[in-house]
Amino acid sequence: MKKISIDPVTRLEGHGRIDIFLNDAGDVANAYMVIPELRGFEKFAQGRRVEELTDITPRICGVCPEAHHMASTKACDNVFHVDPPPTAKKLREMFYSAFYVADHTVHFYILGGPDFVMGPDAPVAERNILGVIHKVGVEVGTKVIESRGKAMDIIGMLGGRKIHPTFGLPGGVSKKLSEEERRQVEATAREEIEFALFTLQLFKDVVLANKTYLDMILSAPFTMPTYYMGMVDENNKVNFYDGKIRVVDPEGKEFVKYNPADYLDVIAEKVEPWTYLKFPYLKKVGWKGIVGGKDSGLYQATPLSRLNASDGMATPRAQEAYEEMYKTLGGKPVHNLLATHWARLVELLYAAERLLELSTDPEITNPHVRNIPTEKPTEGVGVVEAPRGTLTHHYTTDERGIVTKANLIVGTTNNYGPISLAVKQVAQAVIQKGQDITEGMLNRVEMAFRLYDPCFGCATHTLPGKMPLEIRFHDEAGNLKNTLSRNL
Amino acid sequence: MDTKTLIIGLGNTLLQDDGAGIYVAREVKKQIQDCHNVDIVEASLGGIGLLDLMQGYDIVFIVDAIKTANSVPGRTLRCNVEDLGKPTYASGPHFLDVRTAVELGTRCGYKMPRHIEIFAVEIIDNTDFSESLTQEVEKAIPLLAAEIIAEIQKGS
Repeated sequence: MKKISIDPVTRLEGHGRIDIFLNDAGDVANAYMVIPELRGFEKFAQGRRVEELTDITPRICGVCPEAHHMASTKACDNVFHVDPPPTAKKLREMFYSAFYVADHTVHFYILGGPDFVMGPDAPVAERNILGVIHKVGVEVGTKVIESRGKAMDIIGMLGGRKIHPTFGLPGGVSKKLSEEERRQVEATAREEIEFALFTLQLFKDVVLANKTYLDMILSAPFTMPTYYMGMVDENNKVNFYDGKIRVVDPEGKEFVKYNPADYLDVIAEKVEPWTYLKFPYLKKVGWKGIVGGKDSGLYQATPLSRLNASDGMATPRAQEAYEEMYKTLGGKPVHNLLATHWARLVELLYAAERLLELSTDPEITNPHVRNIPTEKPTEGVGVVEAPRGTLTHHYTTDERGIVTKANLIVGTTNNYGPISLAVKQVAQAVIQKGQDITEGMLNRVEMAFRLYDPCFGCATHTLPGKMPLEIRFHDEAGNLKNTLSRNL
Repeated sequence: MDTKTLIIGLGNTLLQDDGAGIYVAREVKKQIQDCHNVDIVEASLGGIGLLDLMQGYDIVFIVDAIKTANSVPGRTLRCNVEDLGKPTYASGPHFLDVRTAVELGTRCGYKMPRHIEIFAVEIIDNTDFSESLTQEVEKAIPLLAAEIIAEIQKGS
């Protein structure tokens, strides 16, 4: 058995790698993604005051701290058994919608965009945001940064600062919205809707109009039926901030819809000895290994999963985009992994429209933004949709509100099994005996990993951060025979 | 026109020595409380988030912990952002480093600071959970702060 290792090492906490095992015939027998995700925050939280966790847990990630902040805030609501006033919930959702606009915009142009706008076989030096800007124009790059900047201004406005905002509190939020601020949010929301529509059109013009790209989206290696998870409102429409968690099976039928507090009845985690990260799976289906399909408990939690698990989008133009996507791809559910990038843009449009709806809500400037907790703290679960998947924070405290136990299922954790499976599928398709390994093959394997935008990072920066990729080929005796690498 | 300077203390103060940059920034702030045209922020951000902070400044000092191949804990280093090499073409927002973020801002026509300098203190590990620094790194905090203050005073 030969082993090939892909080492996306530097930016991950500790060492992460993809190991591809070849059989003696030279075909891919298996692939594993080995991740030492830092679960230390769960231990670190013990002994802290529970309301501190809204400030501590955002430091899990320097790219999506808002998601942890919001899940933590909701968990604290439930620990203290307090229901925030309606305006507070709307302000939280406004804050969260702004975050989604910023995050999804940047994600597409920096991550998804390069693979499609430049093409998966484009030289590394061009297949990046700088190449995209060169191809579609500097003004688009400027709009990306401006769009994100304006959305982050809303975060700063509501949370007091853009960096680790102090916004959510048990029972509400820390400040009300003034009429002047409301007008600013409304103006930004209108601009963001236009830019989201532009981005969707760009995707259609550059990706969908290109038969090679469309074929790749629809290709077998990038098709993977599993269960799909996402948060929905009372009408089963996608909602990032609040609702129930819905799971559909690979045929699109509802499998379960649960309250966040009941997540342990639905999800279990499998421990494997060769990796520090556990694999979540659906309890009732059971753990069958890293395989897909209806008989396997693996599920995905991604933008595509959210759309698959829902009955539509709650805003009109996003609903049109949703319908167009499913019509183009042959109906629901869609199992084509690369369609995640398209689904992300549908969500971007929804987030912008929702931002406009909330900013023009008659209650949004109401000064009553918090109900002070009066009950003794006990235990609570808070769930939101992080951009990268369903995010769960579960805290247990003593009667003083000191944390005795914390459990976090981070967005990407849900996708750990599917990521491994996707990498294996693609590797099996592109790495075959007798063929030289090319940069394009390497990139396709990386695309299978990258479309999930994995958030394994716990630190917030590195000098310099990069995605080194190495595939090592060993002969039958285990000797290193060949290496293909970049960014090392 | 007065030169506007920003000092960004980067790090995660929950991860022991990873927070070094923030502690240095706090030390600088203590000593130059009323310094005109110098702003000091603490940040636990990566890549593109730094662009948000840099807008409108002429000079930016980024203060951070660093791990090198032969790390000597507590040793201080300085370099310009260009010395970090070529942009590394991120494969995702989580992997966008400061060098590439600066290149991105420049290519998009942003008015970037004319000078971006890194002040760093070497550490061994940034994965231990602790809200205090190791001894060697703690000793380096006032030294690195003094270097930054000297640089500010040179310019004013």
